[in-house]
Amino acid sequence: MNKKKTLRFYITLWIAKLSSVALKILRRNATYFPGKIALTLCPEFMGIIEKPKTIIGVTGTNGKTTTCNMINSILEQNGFEFINNKYGSNIDGGIATTLIQGVNFLGRSKKDLAVLEIDERSSNKIFPYLTPTYLVCTNLFRDSLMRNAHTEFISEILNKYIPKETIMIENADDIICSHIAEGNRKIYFSIDKLETDTKECENITRDIRVCPKCLSKLEYEYVRYHHIGKAYCPNCDYKCPENPDYRITNIDKKNMQITVKSNNQEEIYDIVNDNIINIYNMLAVIAVLKELKLTAKQINDSFAKIKIVETRYSEEIYKNYKIVTQLAKGMNPIACSIAFNYIRKEPANKAVIMILDDLHEEANGSENTAWQYDVDYEFLNDESIKQIIIAGPRYLDSYIRCLIADINPEKIVYEKDLIDATGKLKLEAIEKIFILHDLYSIEETKQIKQKVKEIIDEKIPEEK
Amino acid sequence: MKIEVLYPEFCNLNGDMGNVKYLKKCLPEAKFIETSINEQPAFCTQDDLSLIYMGTLSERSQEIVIKKLMSYRQRIEELIDKGQVFLFTGNSLEVLGEYIINEDKSKIEALGIFNVHAKRDMLHRHNSFFLGKYEDIELLGFKSQFTMLYGDNSNEYFATVEMGIGINKESKLEGIKKNNFIGTYIIGPVLILNPEFTLKLLSLMGVEEPKLAFEKEMIEAYKIRYKKFKELAVKNK
Repeated sequence: MNKKKTLRFYITLWIAKLSSVALKILRRNATYFPGKIALTLCPEFMGIIEKPKTIIGVTGTNGKTTTCNMINSILEQNGFEFINNKYGSNIDGGIATTLIQGVNFLGRSKKDLAVLEIDERSSNKIFPYLTPTYLVCTNLFRDSLMRNAHTEFISEILNKYIPKETIMIENADDIICSHIAEGNRKIYFSIDKLETDTKECENITRDIRVCPKCLSKLEYEYVRYHHIGKAYCPNCDYKCPENPDYRITNIDKKNMQITVKSNNQEEIYDIVNDNIINIYNMLAVIAVLKELKLTAKQINDSFAKIKIVETRYSEEIYKNYKIVTQLAKGMNPIACSIAFNYIRKEPANKAVIMILDDLHEEANGSENTAWQYDVDYEFLNDESIKQIIIAGPRYLDSYIRCLIADINPEKIVYEKDLIDATGKLKLEAIEKIFILHDLYSIEETKQIKQKVKEIIDEKIPEEK
Repeated sequence: MKIEVLYPEFCNLNGDMGNVKYLKKCLPEAKFIETSINEQPAFCTQDDLSLIYMGTLSERSQEIVIKKLMSYRQRIEELIDKGQVFLFTGNSLEVLGEYIINEDKSKIEALGIFNVHAKRDMLHRHNSFFLGKYEDIELLGFKSQFTMLYGDNSNEYFATVEMGIGINKESKLEGIKKNNFIGTYIIGPVLILNPEFTLKLLSLMGVEEPKLAFEKEMIEAYKIRYKKFKELAVKNK
């Protein structure tokens, strides 16, 4: 229930709304500042402001933005009217900004539905004032060590602040995520055992190895990646949830389709992107939208039109070469490891260009590179990867990490300058070029892609 | 040569296991004993360990590890006195202090080997770069922690601080060094970032004519980072 609106609230709301208008006139992003002002002037603002009746929250370490983008697209294409923080930040100021946009000057809610991406680390500043109807938790992994520390820290925040009334939609294959908010009503999603699953974990890191209840070593029926899989404690009842509500029973990569079973019914959906993490994201989207009573047809008709946003994944065939740009978030060892694994398992011979430095952090000094030792560089030590080009300010650190991963130095180019390094790309014996980049290197990625095209043009000039 | 890695299922945060990975490259013949939480540590019965290593761990794991190591307190103290080489990185050092205080003032008794105690502040994570000196070696590193350590380490510190913090924000003395025990809040691949220090550690461990893996590249990377940290140190003064 919202608290009573006070004069302070109204004045704050008007100032925040005016600041939003002013920012738009100045052609600046009004995605965080109005909310920040509101929370500064009236700390209880988020608790007072009217909110839509139904709030879908999406949190977790990886996949929040992609999941929200897909939910937003499907709802839009099916004529729903709702507010969302698609263009805004996912911390308290950004959430407050979105809520401000969703009310009129009298503070009355204009829409009945909200889709909010919620930063898991900031949930202590959001959930005391906002109760999601549904909260999707995609997964929980170690992330930026400087900000998020470790999964126990994030789990404790989520467990402390998630409202009891919220219905949790959780990844049943993630033994950490699936035990968040134990007392809440739960809906689980899961992907059945895959041919690619293994008995032993191939990754360097696993954020849970020991049963938190009895300290026995956790065992797995199968491991997918890191701690994702079917984990259980051999000595007590701690395990991944059984009988998930939404299950992918088949992934047909050839026809790019998945089969989802829920309520004893099987439905077929078109795959938006075949990276396993995006298949999990799709399943989370299906689970939450089915709970909102959308039909499989409504969801799938929209999936067919959805593309992962270009800043996260893009592919282009250019004169017989496939150029893929893929986000591999700096400081996020799991995202990088998943990207490395995806590349090595992609058919065909390839070259990999990496700019994993957090250039934003670099501007403030020198990047903390400790996280690189939690990344599975060993996955790049694969016969199908013919060349690795490392560029950016921390190029030597990444090069040393590659050497420790036993990658043949003859395969590696390492240079600070992004374009000079890319200039050494060898097209012989490769069919695909992957450009792995950080969230803050979008412009640089475009330049690298352009340089790659120029190199291809030099090799195949007649098609210019 | 034998190296014991304590509780890797817990003590694996912040890239600290990179140190073990790197030691394996420098010492391909060495035997690495990974001791898990329900096993008796090798140091209890073996006197020929060249190094005992422990990395950063979560707060809950610290409490589990303290309980486990409490029964071996006397043995650890005896080994430190005898000159056994230890390297404890990140907050693992706190396990050997007197106690850890939570924000609500509740206290977790630790092994009490060193006269220091830690204070947790889970809402304020400290992040900084470190530039300091261990003997005549200029050390580089990163710090990322919820705790600060208090107590007098002036007679048994690991390094002096030029940039960054010591055991707490007011201290200019980093870590603990007693005989061949080294405990430092520097996280992650401290051995990879500091080739000269790693050579020194290998000597302490008894390696004759120690040689670094990827020495040339490591020194080149060290020089670049050293220059940058020196510039930052001047800028921050």
